Amino acid sequence: MLYADYNATTPLDPEVRAAMNEALDGSFGNPSSMHSAGQAARRLVDRARAQVAALIGAAADEIVFTSGGTEADNLAVLGTAEAAAGKQIVASAVEHKAVLDPCAYLQKQGRAVTFLPVDCDGRADLAALEAVVKPDVALVSLMLANNDTGTLQRVAEAARIANACGALMHTDAVQAAGKVPIDVKTLGVSLLSFSSHKIHGPKGVGALFVRYGARLASVFHGGRQERLLRPGTENVPGIVGFGKACDLARTRLLADARRVAQLRDHFEQQILASIVGTRINGGKDRLPNTSNLAFAGLEGEAITINLDMMGMAVSTGAACSSADKTPSHVLLAMGQSAVEARSSVRFSFGRDTSDEDITRAIALVVQAVNLLRGVRP
Amino acid sequence: MSERIVIAMSGGVDSSVAAAMLKEQGHTLIGVTLKLQECHDAHGSKSCCGVDGITRAREVAGDLGFPHYVLDCVKDFEKLVLEPAWQEYASGRTPSPCLSCNEKVKFGLLLDWAARLGIPRVATGHYARLEKGEDGRPKLLRGHDAGKDQSYFLAGLTLDQLDRAMFPVGHLRKPEVRDWAKESGLPTAETPESQDACLVAPGESYAEMLRKHFDAPARAGEIVDEAGKVVGQHDGFHVYTIGQRKGLPAGAASRRWVKAISAETGQVTVTSDASELVATDFIAKQVNWLAGNLPTQPLSCSVQVRYRHPSEPATIVAQTDGSLRVTLKTPVKAITPGQAAVFYDGDRTLGRGWID
Repeated sequence: MLYADYNATTPLDPEVRAAMNEALDGSFGNPSSMHSAGQAARRLVDRARAQVAALIGAAADEIVFTSGGTEADNLAVLGTAEAAAGKQIVASAVEHKAVLDPCAYLQKQGRAVTFLPVDCDGRADLAALEAVVKPDVALVSLMLANNDTGTLQRVAEAARIANACGALMHTDAVQAAGKVPIDVKTLGVSLLSFSSHKIHGPKGVGALFVRYGARLASVFHGGRQERLLRPGTENVPGIVGFGKACDLARTRLLADARRVAQLRDHFEQQILASIVGTRINGGKDRLPNTSNLAFAGLEGEAITINLDMMGMAVSTGAACSSADKTPSHVLLAMGQSAVEARSSVRFSFGRDTSDEDITRAIALVVQAVNLLRGVRP
Repeated sequence: MSERIVIAMSGGVDSSVAAAMLKEQGHTLIGVTLKLQECHDAHGSKSCCGVDGITRAREVAGDLGFPHYVLDCVKDFEKLVLEPAWQEYASGRTPSPCLSCNEKVKFGLLLDWAARLGIPRVATGHYARLEKGEDGRPKLLRGHDAGKDQSYFLAGLTLDQLDRAMFPVGHLRKPEVRDWAKESGLPTAETPESQDACLVAPGESYAEMLRKHFDAPARAGEIVDEAGKVVGQHDGFHVYTIGQRKGLPAGAASRRWVKAISAETGQVTVTSDASELVATDFIAKQVNWLAGNLPTQPLSCSVQVRYRHPSEPATIVAQTDGSLRVTLKTPVKAITPGQAAVFYDGDRTLGRGWID
């Protein structure tokens, strides 16, 4: 199979697997236990915490392990809201549902929530942010990179605006981590979510960076783990794998990004040159691996299924549906019509994508589009 | 010749075997399960939202080695099948939603969806057969298993829809289908028989489920005898159907049946004379005719007035408005407005109309 859906998930790196196997075989102890078995497990978690922190330029103590990106986003939004009763929440309209849905939930509870508009490339309107951020704002949430389009947001600028008013700045870096360099100090964020399985680690583990002093309440209760913010016995093998994955991502990030950007650019140039009516979504400033393409007059779903049958995995960002197909909320927020938004397919490449893969991907996409255009009256 | 075919998979044994047969013939399959209802609307019935079916269908597709997708039809199913069905109940009639589902969803939305993928054909696990007539047009025939034949439910499909349909198990009998499944080791071999009452929670009538779904008021009223004398009260006429015996107040006579339902007065009329329930004449409207043009002369054929009912000899005469006047050779009990009348010439399905 030609896998071109790295933004959905990534294969486990063999080195990560080896580290996890060692943890599974050797350290079954509960990190909270006083005895040596517990201490051995605790040391593994400590080491992983340092590895995870290093990927984003944080201190180890600022890392709170969670069950993944969605939980980290929920903790950031709901935990801030809980700690800042009555204060407003601001998020961009193109956030992942893991941010948007907790915001909508708070709104239903009566909380003031503002969703920031974006331009046609999907970049949040910072003038609108400046206008809305007042001392009564508890949280500003703006993702580092969009999962559908790869569009990079101006998070550092947004953080300056938020910080000036005393609001916490959160960024969902689930898609950006491991693909672009991240430094929480340069960004000026107080909260940052990321996930293990997007960077060749195991599923079921992620982290929320919580800057020292950031006021956050727990949404779970029942233990003293993770600074009280995420009670429950730690997922030791998962955390160990996440740590190793972060370590690998940190050391090879720049080389990987350069290589995959070249492949992605070549893919885009060839597709644009070979298929009429193709357009790139998301502007110039994007993740190096993501290519969200609109194919005029076609349905992304039909292309995706035909490519699947040809042995290539891509994504449309929406489930198969007969009616009212809700297209990507990201593309709609960018001002596209439902028909335009439905004509899009997301290709995302990664660490294991080869030159030959790209050559074959171009041929398959051309073949699928020709097949679909051929059957149209 | 190998074709690309969409196979509609309910997760039951019939569509699983249909898939296995097509796969064996060398076709390239795309499995699809239609999601018709949201899980949180499933009223506590485990299989209602089709999750069990989706899981089983996905397992079969995985075992047979072809892709499987879930097509979310919840909104369309509500608009195209459930809403019209409730409108029928609310008008004192008894709908046949399975026909509408085949006409508008399985061979409507799903055919359209397949066409958008560039795939002309959709196969299902229905017990019915297709043959090509001398004129090149498809002929819809009864399934070989008389007890399972589903041509009644398919009689509203147009010739174009039938042209693109495939019923791979239509020539088999149910035990043969089960044997096929067992021999091929399909995980659905022992799946219990799915009932026609799709979406109904245990212990609840379809009509009542629809009423709750649309949050419609139940129209309570009087139960009267043929003389107009009030013999009882009911909580909503939608739960009654012509010929029904259960749920009526015991009267002087030992037995009573529903003879008529009036949406205008809200009255349910009962009779204690069984002969009052039979009729020889009715009008079938919105006719879908599969055998050329509507007959210009009176035509002798047979007619089936509900599912799992023998077909009866009848003469049909086309009316100027395109409806059919149906005259039965012998009287038939409880001909129910809203049900489909399906016409046959031997095994061949000639068409269907809605009983007026």
